[in-house]
Amino acid sequence: MVIDSRRRLGNGRLRIGGGLLALLLAAALLAPWLSPYDPQAMPFVPLSLPDGSHWLGVNDAGMDLFAELLYGLRNSLAFGLVGGFAALALGVAVGLMTAWYGGAVDAVGMRLADVLLAIPLVMPLLLLAVLAPPSPLLLALLLALLSWPSTARAIRAQALSLRNRPHVAAARQMGGSTFYILGRHLLPELAPLFLAGLAGKIRMALAMEVSLAFLGLFEPGRKSLGQTLRDGIQYYYLDIWWHWLLPPLLCLSLLILSLTLLAVGCEALFDSRLREG
Amino acid sequence: MLECSQLRVCYQEGEHALLAIDRVDLRLEPGRVLALVGESGSGKTTLARSLLGLAAKNARIDGALHLDGEDLTHLSEGDWNRVRWRRIAMVGQNGAAALNPVLSVGAQVAEPLIVHRGLGAGEALAQARTALAAMGLEPGLARHYPHELSGGQIQRALLAMALILDPQVLILDEPTAALDPPARKFVGEVIREQRRRGKAILLISHDLDSCRRLADTVAVLYLGRIFEELPAQDLFAAPRHPYTQALVRSYPRIDAVRDLGGMRGDAFYRMVHVHDRQAAEHAHTIGSDDPRETGHAPEQGCLFAPRCTQAQPACREEEPELLPVGEHLLRCRRGGIVNLLELYGVRKSYAHVTALAPVDLQLRQGEVFGLVGETGSGKSTLAMIAAGALAPDSGKCLFAGREMEDWLRQEQTALARQVGIVQQHPALAVSPRLDVFEIVAEPLRIQKTAGMPESLRERVARALAEVHLPNAPEFLRRFPQQLNQGTLQRLCIARALITEPLLLVADEPTSALDPSVQAKVMRLLLDLQIEKGLTLLLVTHDLGLARKVSDRIGVMHAGNLVEVGNAAQVWQHPGHPYTRELLNASFDLGDSDELHL
Repeated sequence: MVIDSRRRLGNGRLRIGGGLLALLLAAALLAPWLSPYDPQAMPFVPLSLPDGSHWLGVNDAGMDLFAELLYGLRNSLAFGLVGGFAALALGVAVGLMTAWYGGAVDAVGMRLADVLLAIPLVMPLLLLAVLAPPSPLLLALLLALLSWPSTARAIRAQALSLRNRPHVAAARQMGGSTFYILGRHLLPELAPLFLAGLAGKIRMALAMEVSLAFLGLFEPGRKSLGQTLRDGIQYYYLDIWWHWLLPPLLCLSLLILSLTLLAVGCEALFDSRLREG
Repeated sequence: MLECSQLRVCYQEGEHALLAIDRVDLRLEPGRVLALVGESGSGKTTLARSLLGLAAKNARIDGALHLDGEDLTHLSEGDWNRVRWRRIAMVGQNGAAALNPVLSVGAQVAEPLIVHRGLGAGEALAQARTALAAMGLEPGLARHYPHELSGGQIQRALLAMALILDPQVLILDEPTAALDPPARKFVGEVIREQRRRGKAILLISHDLDSCRRLADTVAVLYLGRIFEELPAQDLFAAPRHPYTQALVRSYPRIDAVRDLGGMRGDAFYRMVHVHDRQAAEHAHTIGSDDPRETGHAPEQGCLFAPRCTQAQPACREEEPELLPVGEHLLRCRRGGIVNLLELYGVRKSYAHVTALAPVDLQLRQGEVFGLVGETGSGKSTLAMIAAGALAPDSGKCLFAGREMEDWLRQEQTALARQVGIVQQHPALAVSPRLDVFEIVAEPLRIQKTAGMPESLRERVARALAEVHLPNAPEFLRRFPQQLNQGTLQRLCIARALITEPLLLVADEPTSALDPSVQAKVMRLLLDLQIEKGLTLLLVTHDLGLARKVSDRIGVMHAGNLVEVGNAAQVWQHPGHPYTRELLNASFDLGDSDELHL
């Protein structure tokens, strides 16, 4: 597909969302270089207020809060991206397969989706995290394994109507393989759907990570936006909200905002029908 | 009875020669009319003239010529004079030029009587007047000079002259070409009358309808060779050779169904080269689309192969013999027009609805088959089965003589290459996510036959040019929603034809278009059908359209193919009540229940 680069840049939502996410991603990726201190080191005076050497102050254990924010962002974002992309990939794959093959594949896939949709996501994760704490990566994949059905259903519904389009029939008649048709005729048509879905999935995974961390279900030394909040909330009676609680909350909100803007912007970009001209 | 065998005529020009007639065998029998048809330059007139010993100075004639067992092959000019007029007479093309402008018509008609019979001038003139009167000309006309006569009168005078010595054999070269319908009818009556009297008649004409009505047998000449000899009543109804079919399709018919269709390519003449007096000569054809035309390689294979809709590689290797097939004599390695697609007892149902009762359908290679019927009659289902895009529940499908299932299992892309589909709604038939270039290139990409990117670009450019679409980079980058319906449909045609298929299935290709765009797209489709020699299965609910463009028509009703036949026959003599109903419905918009034809 040919994308006119001027149009890409001309899309305001895409630009703001992309810029914001790029900034946050850069901060997360470059944390080891940006951070003034080792986030695990605790040589500072606990609970000191922000000053020139500690921009966000120091927490109760004597760790620099700015370093903690950067590493927390890094871990939360990684969890969100892995969980979101894995859930999306699963959802798209299952949705396409059930729509394309129908019959038994469809029946099994959709019944499984029904079952999973009936289970509240937090419960199994909570149980698992308490009983046998897995690594965060494994937990993210597990989350994906539980959260694909909504994407799969949306993709399936749309793909069902697409598979009977004349251009799909034409491609099949030309000798196109299933793989080719799914990849070239169905996936691009479904892009807006699953891009919006992707943003939702990443948001959900992010929120889940922050919640689990807030509940203290990860190992205590692991940095996370949720963990920072959990630590800070104990001192709510001190005047710490603006330098300890606000920064992680702001980070989380900006992340979610940028993802939403990106999703909406992408939809307009990939759908040539929404493009002017 | 006049008989020629292995007749060969060359016009010598230095070392080169134009091969006008090549090993032709013909028999003119008493009381029979043999019509000789073929494109201009096929050698018809040369053949006629050499039967009279009237060859040009530079002509070299080989072969044998017998009149009632008497060998005319080596006759001297003096002996020929005793045969011409008396036993074999000819009315030439271009009538007025055959008469002497300074002699009166009567004197010229009387001349053979004086020269050959030794009659006196007065008696000869009297007989000439009678002969002219028999041709429906006033006796007074005998005194007039040729320039005072109309074309029709000259033709009658020439007929009178040719018949005045009561010859056994009459050769008529384009006797009706320049005449208006009444005069043409009169000439036809004269020919019938002479046939009844037992003359052997050779009728040379472009007018296929006259040939069909007047002749017993029709011989089809192409580049100096006979390609088919068939009973005259089969000429329109059941020609067997692709060349005969193409000639018939080109002819403007009064019962106009599909006509003026033409034939792809051109062939002008054949050259014989004798580079070395000792070496054997070889011939090649000028004007056919064949690479041989530039080289001096000896001619091989069937002469018609470059223009044929069903030529196979083997057709270009060995020249076929003229062999009997049924009542026809046929020069075709494939035994005449073959079926590209054969469906036997094909059945299809969706859930509990029977879309297709067992249906038989054969598509001949190179024809346009119009499949008509109302919505829901199963015509689209049948078309998709024909294209191999839909599997029937039961029945047998053969494409190019091979089972469709076989194709699909073993060589799906090879089948896909040979079948193109054009759908009803062009906007839905292309993915909105692909631009013009990708849409047209898609079949090549799928079938991985494109090779290098440059060749892909070239082929896309060629395909777009064929459907009269631009090849500018800005156009190639456009998306379907930026194009109008007519352009989109042409794009779909380009996509369907880029793999150079044999069969094109067009399902209501123009019903989504407005009439002016419809006309353009339809004409484009038909031109491409001719130039590429495609077999076209045209599905339409528009009987008027089907009648104008189809060679044959099939009528579908409630999942059954109720009638199949030549377009003219279905149109004029519908055999099935439903066809009649459909015909009536297409004329009747509620204000009349009469059938106007």
